[in-house]
Amino acid sequence: MLAYHQKSFLIVDDFSDFRSSVRSMLRELGVKDVDTADSGEQALRMCSQKRYDFILQDYHLGDGKKNGQQVLEDLMVEKLISHESVFLMVTAESSQAMVLSALEHEPDAYLTKPFNRSGLAQRLERLEQRKTLLKPILQALDRGKPLEVLNACIALCKQDPRYGPLCLRYRADALRDMNQNEALERLYNQILADRPLPWAYVGLGRLHFKRGQVLQAKEIYEKALKAFPMMPALYDGMAEVLVIENDSKGAQRVLEEAVRLSPLAVRRQAQLGKLAMANEDFETASRAYRQAVSQGAQSRFKDAESNLGLAHALISKGSEKGLDTRTRLEINTTLSAVAKENPSDPGLQIRARLMKATSLLLNDAETAEKLTEQALLRLEGMEQFMSPEAAMLVAKQLQMLGQDKAGATMLKNCAEIYGDDPVVMQGIAKLTDDPAILSSSNAAAELNREGVRVYKSGNLPEARILFRRALTMQPKNISIALNMAQSLLHGTDTSVASAELDECRGCLKMVGLMPDTDARYSRYQKLKIKAFGE
Amino acid sequence: MSEHNQGLDFSTVIASTVHDMKNSLAMLMQAQAQWLARLPEPERLTQEQGVIDFEFAHLNTMLVQLLGLYKLGVNQLPLQPDYHELDDFIEAQLACHQEVFSSRGIVATYEVDPLSPLGFFDRELVASVLANCINNAIRHARHALLITVQDEAGQTVLTINDDGNGYPAQMIERQDEYVQGINQSSGSTGLGLYFAGRIAELHQRNGVRGRTRIANGGPLGGGLFSLYLP
Repeated sequence: MLAYHQKSFLIVDDFSDFRSSVRSMLRELGVKDVDTADSGEQALRMCSQKRYDFILQDYHLGDGKKNGQQVLEDLMVEKLISHESVFLMVTAESSQAMVLSALEHEPDAYLTKPFNRSGLAQRLERLEQRKTLLKPILQALDRGKPLEVLNACIALCKQDPRYGPLCLRYRADALRDMNQNEALERLYNQILADRPLPWAYVGLGRLHFKRGQVLQAKEIYEKALKAFPMMPALYDGMAEVLVIENDSKGAQRVLEEAVRLSPLAVRRQAQLGKLAMANEDFETASRAYRQAVSQGAQSRFKDAESNLGLAHALISKGSEKGLDTRTRLEINTTLSAVAKENPSDPGLQIRARLMKATSLLLNDAETAEKLTEQALLRLEGMEQFMSPEAAMLVAKQLQMLGQDKAGATMLKNCAEIYGDDPVVMQGIAKLTDDPAILSSSNAAAELNREGVRVYKSGNLPEARILFRRALTMQPKNISIALNMAQSLLHGTDTSVASAELDECRGCLKMVGLMPDTDARYSRYQKLKIKAFGE
Repeated sequence: MSEHNQGLDFSTVIASTVHDMKNSLAMLMQAQAQWLARLPEPERLTQEQGVIDFEFAHLNTMLVQLLGLYKLGVNQLPLQPDYHELDDFIEAQLACHQEVFSSRGIVATYEVDPLSPLGFFDRELVASVLANCINNAIRHARHALLITVQDEAGQTVLTINDDGNGYPAQMIERQDEYVQGINQSSGSTGLGLYFAGRIAELHQRNGVRGRTRIANGGPLGGGLFSLYLP
C-alpha cells in the first residue's frame, strides 16, 4: 500500500469545484501534502519551488491558457519534474488528437473524468509501483546519462524478462542520445518485426533521415502510414522527406493532412506556413502562420518567425490596390508583438519594421519611409548575421522601398556569408544581376574546396594556407571560417597560448555571429568548446 | 476536405450532442459524488444510491460506445497500441465500478496469468469494450464476476464470466450476425457485441485478426464473454 502521508501532490485545474473534490478524495486516502494551482503558469512556478511526487493535471485549462500537454512539455524541458514523479493527465474526454500530439512527452497515464476515489487510488498505486520497478532507469534519466539508462534496462530485463517490453522505449531513446545508429536501427527493426509500435516507426524513419538515407526513410513512413494513418508525427517525417526531394507541393499536402488530424501543434503550423509560402499559396500560408502565432502565445515553441511569416503571407495575398483595413490591423498587431517582445534582437527589429513599411507602401507612404529609415539606421549598426532567407527578404523589401543601394549591400553581405551554398546563390540571383555580387564568392569557394581536399589528404600546413587565403577574400564566410578554425585546432595544444589558438578563436568569434538556427551551429559549438574550454 | 463542408450530416449532429451529453453526465456524476460525501453514512448507502451509481455508469458506457461507433463509421477510430500491464488495466476498470459492486453485493475478482503480465493493445478502446461487458455482467450477475486473462498460443484472451442465467441460446447461435451488424434487433447487448467485434478486429498481428466469442458456462456458470487479441 502506498504511503500516501509521505507523498506530495499538486492538483492543476481551472475549476475550483474539481480541485476541492480531488483534494478531499486524496485526504480520504491519507494524503497530507496537497497543493493546488488554477493555471499551467502557476503550476510551473510551484514546480520550480518544490518537488512533487504526483501531479494531477487537467488537460483543458481554458482558451488562451497553456493546456496540460504544454505544461508537461515545459516541465520536462526545463527539468522541473523528476522522471520519478508521476504525471497524470486528467481529461474530460479521451480525445485521440490529444493523445496523438503527445508523442515526445507522454504523461504517465490519462485519467478520464469522472473518476471515483477507488479509481483514483488504483491508478496512483499502480503508477507508483511501476515507477518503483523502473527506478534505476528513471534515476539515470534524471542524471541525463544514457549509458546508465541502457545498463539499468539490461539489469531490469535480466532480473525480470517479462517486463522487457516496458524498457524498449527507454533503450531506443538512450541509443539515440548516444548516436549509436547501427544498434538503434537493429533495435527498431527487432521491435517492429514483433509488434507495430507507432513510436518505433517514427524513430526508425527519423534515424534513416538523419543518416541521409532518404529513400529508406520514405519507405518506412509509407508503410507506417498504412498502419497508423492517424499519427501526425509520421506525416511530419514524410513532409521532411518530400522537401529534400524538392517536392514542396507534395510536402505541403502531407502537412495539411497532419494539421487536419492534429491542429494543436505550433511547429507543424509554422512549417506548413513556410512550405505554403514557398509554393506561393498565400491563403494556406496565412492561415497556418496565424495558427502558429495564436497557439504559440502560450507555448515554449513561440517563434517571431511565425509573426513575420504571417505578415509576409498577408502582404503577398494583397492586391495592387493595397491592403484592406482588417488585414492592415492584423499585420500591425502581429509585427508590433515582434518588436515589443524582442527588444534586444536587432535583426528582428529591422525585419519587423521593413515588413510593416512594405505593407504600408501603397496606403501610407510617409510612415513607410519613416520605418525604412529606422530600419536602415539599425542595419548599419548590426553585427549579427541574418539567416539567408531573412537576409534575402530584407534585400528584396529594401529594393521595393526604393533603397536599392542598401539592398545591394545586403545581398553582397549575404553572398559573402553564405556564398558557398549554391541554393543561396540561386536565391540571390533572383534579386540582382550585378556580376560583382554574383561572382564575388566564386574564387574563395574554390579555394575552400581545395583546402578541404588538401586537409583530407593530411597536409595540414597547406590546408591552413588555402583556408586563410579564402578567408582573406571572404572574411565573414561561415563555412570557410569553420574550416579554418578546425584546421587550426587540429594538432594544437589548446592549454597553451599560441598564435594558432589566437587565430582560431578569432575565427570562431566571427562565426559566432551566425543565427543559432543554422545547420552548422552545433559544429560551431563543438569547436568553441575545444578552443575556449567549457 | 471539401466534402466535409457540405453542412452537417445527421450522425455528426448526434455525435456532437452525445459528446455534450457525456460532459454533462460527467459533471452530474461529480456533483453527486461531492454531495454524497457530505451525507452521513446510513443515508449514503441506500438502495436508490445503488441504482443511481449503476445507471450513471451504464449511461456513461453507452455514450462512450456511441461515440466509438460514430468514429468507426467515419473511420476515425485509429489504433494506438502499446504494451500494458494487464493486472493494472483490469483493476482500473473494476475500480470504476466499485460502488455498484458493493451496493449490489457482487464480488468481482480477476486472475492474470503471471507468466505473461503484459498485453499489447489499444488501452482506451479495449477499456471501452471491457466497461461495456462489466456493465452487462452486473445486470445479470447474482453474486460474482470473474475476469481472467490467459495466453493462448501467443494471443491474449480476456474473459468476463458471471453467475447469472447466461446469454439466450439464440444469441449464442447467431453471434456472428451480431458481430457483423446484420442482426441488430436485440438492443444494447447486440450493439455492444458489434462494437466489441469491430474493436477486436482492429487488433491484428501477422494477418491474424482479433475476435470475440460468447458462450455460457465457465467457472461461474453464467455468461462468458471472450476477447481474443493476437
